[in-house]
Amino acid sequence: MTSSFRTIRAGFMPLTDCAPLVMASVLGLDEKYGVKLALSREHSWSGMRDRLVHGSLDVAHVLYGLLYGVEMGIGSRAVPMAVLMNLSRNGQAITLSRALAEQGVIDGPSLAAHMRRSRRRFTFAHTFPTGNHAMFLYYWLAAAGIDPLRDIQAVTVPPGQMASSLVAGHIDGFCAGEPWSARAVLDGAGVTAATSQDIWPDHPGKALGATAAFADANPDACRALVAALLEAGRWIDASAAHRDAAAEILASPAYVNADRELIGARLHGRYEDGLGRCWRDPDPLQFHADGAANFPWLSDGMWFMTQHRRWGLLREDPDYLAVAARVNRVALYREAALLAGVAAPAGLLRSSVLIDGRIWNGRDPQAYISSFAHGAPRPVFGHGAPQ
Amino acid sequence: MKSPPSVQRTLRIVVVNTAHGAGEQAMAAQAQRNTALRIGLLESGYDIVASLPADIFLPERIAQIQPDMIIIDSESDALDVLEHIVIATRDEPRPIVLFTDDQDRSSMDAAIDAGVSAYIVAGLQAERVKPVLDVALARFRRERRLLDELSDTRRQLADRKLVERAKGLLMAKSGLSEDQAYQKLRSMAMNRKLKLAELAQRVLDVEDLL
Repeated sequence: MTSSFRTIRAGFMPLTDCAPLVMASVLGLDEKYGVKLALSREHSWSGMRDRLVHGSLDVAHVLYGLLYGVEMGIGSRAVPMAVLMNLSRNGQAITLSRALAEQGVIDGPSLAAHMRRSRRRFTFAHTFPTGNHAMFLYYWLAAAGIDPLRDIQAVTVPPGQMASSLVAGHIDGFCAGEPWSARAVLDGAGVTAATSQDIWPDHPGKALGATAAFADANPDACRALVAALLEAGRWIDASAAHRDAAAEILASPAYVNADRELIGARLHGRYEDGLGRCWRDPDPLQFHADGAANFPWLSDGMWFMTQHRRWGLLREDPDYLAVAARVNRVALYREAALLAGVAAPAGLLRSSVLIDGRIWNGRDPQAYISSFAHGAPRPVFGHGAPQ
Repeated sequence: MKSPPSVQRTLRIVVVNTAHGAGEQAMAAQAQRNTALRIGLLESGYDIVASLPADIFLPERIAQIQPDMIIIDSESDALDVLEHIVIATRDEPRPIVLFTDDQDRSSMDAAIDAGVSAYIVAGLQAERVKPVLDVALARFRRERRLLDELSDTRRQLADRKLVERAKGLLMAKSGLSEDQAYQKLRSMAMNRKLKLAELAQRVLDVEDLL
């Protein structure tokens, strides 16, 4: 029988939150909707971005922030992109070195106090300059009164090297996804200072990204794929047994290539911080949450742009709402949700309270950026030398 | 290919060595590619000023060395470390050349279109390396020139708009004529050693505050 399935080449990074793509393929949910996933394990975010942009990949499991960075041309040519859905929420973490923890540094405020008493330079790592982990790290530091542009050195480190960099003393902490954060704790290299859900409960995670050109030319395939991934996310979230099964599959060298128990613990929301504290997180890594985790809120895309602007990665204010409205394919998502029997919210903006108590609701991005004490210098009226 | 004039200085190239691979075989393959690449570059007369490991000190070392070009394996996870450098130095960018196993000519063209400066196919015969690098550098320089011209033009336009608005504000608030308003802005800018557009921005900022 000849297959009429449309093949979709999908890139993913070996992280726990690539689960919906993997499970959609493994469970045959892609074929249920008439498409065939050809999964491609990528080595770096830059490499994945390049392949997505020049057409070697059709879609990708991609950092939400990175995708908007490409749209706005930060560090690379600006290319119109599309967010088809959000693949996961929560489940990233900030890990500090054991050396710091032994000196009583276990959270933002104790870190700030320690740094004020110390003379040396502190270094923190993230996974990509415009990506989610960089933005969450900077937000968390700034919330503790630490200026990420002036008070620390920020570096990009491949996630697989984070734990060894901590042990070697090359970095004092890092923000990354799983299972790398859990690995650092398990190895005794670090302690969990904050989860990403501490910083922003139910924040957006990896997006299902594509070029705008691909999304425009292939609406049926994209819609089918989103429906399949909604079902995959629903399946994973449905029960502990399903999460166990996902962890076992993800452990394979073809996917995350890590120990199944290591992946499984935080996938279930079971955390250990390396300081003796264990808990069941109320806002763990989730892939569906009855649809609440997947909607491509315009305010989510806008948040990343406000943070890019805040830190000077964007040099001018874009029309935040207009950019998010063209990148986040809400109409297509709603159609896919209908296909998969998933409820979708009626609005385009959602309201969240972040760790510093600030509310982000997508309204007045410029005022939001101006409200922060820490950010890149902007032209300011005043006596004396110009900024 | 015409040879470069003798006064032109040699390109200073940094090669980034990536130690990480999926296993012994991958590492051996990468090591082979690296060696072939370095031989090719040396034979073509390029100056490899450093062969650096893809570790956490890479950005600092690159900043110290200031190479004209950085060459790195496209399969490397250190590409993200390089991205950090790209963004940190985006006002003084350098072409980044990838090399890979991909034999497909059309994907090479596509990569160049996408902004990757060049693709070098694995196998890396010496005579292939130089022309590709020359194309990469020439293309990159032309793009930079065009982008700089474009951003200059844009900035000039934006500056002119600022000055017009500030002029209009002064005319409305102080009842000055257009010429008087312009002269006032100019002299204030000179006194404070500011560019006209910078002063105009400040005038507008105050207006926003009050």
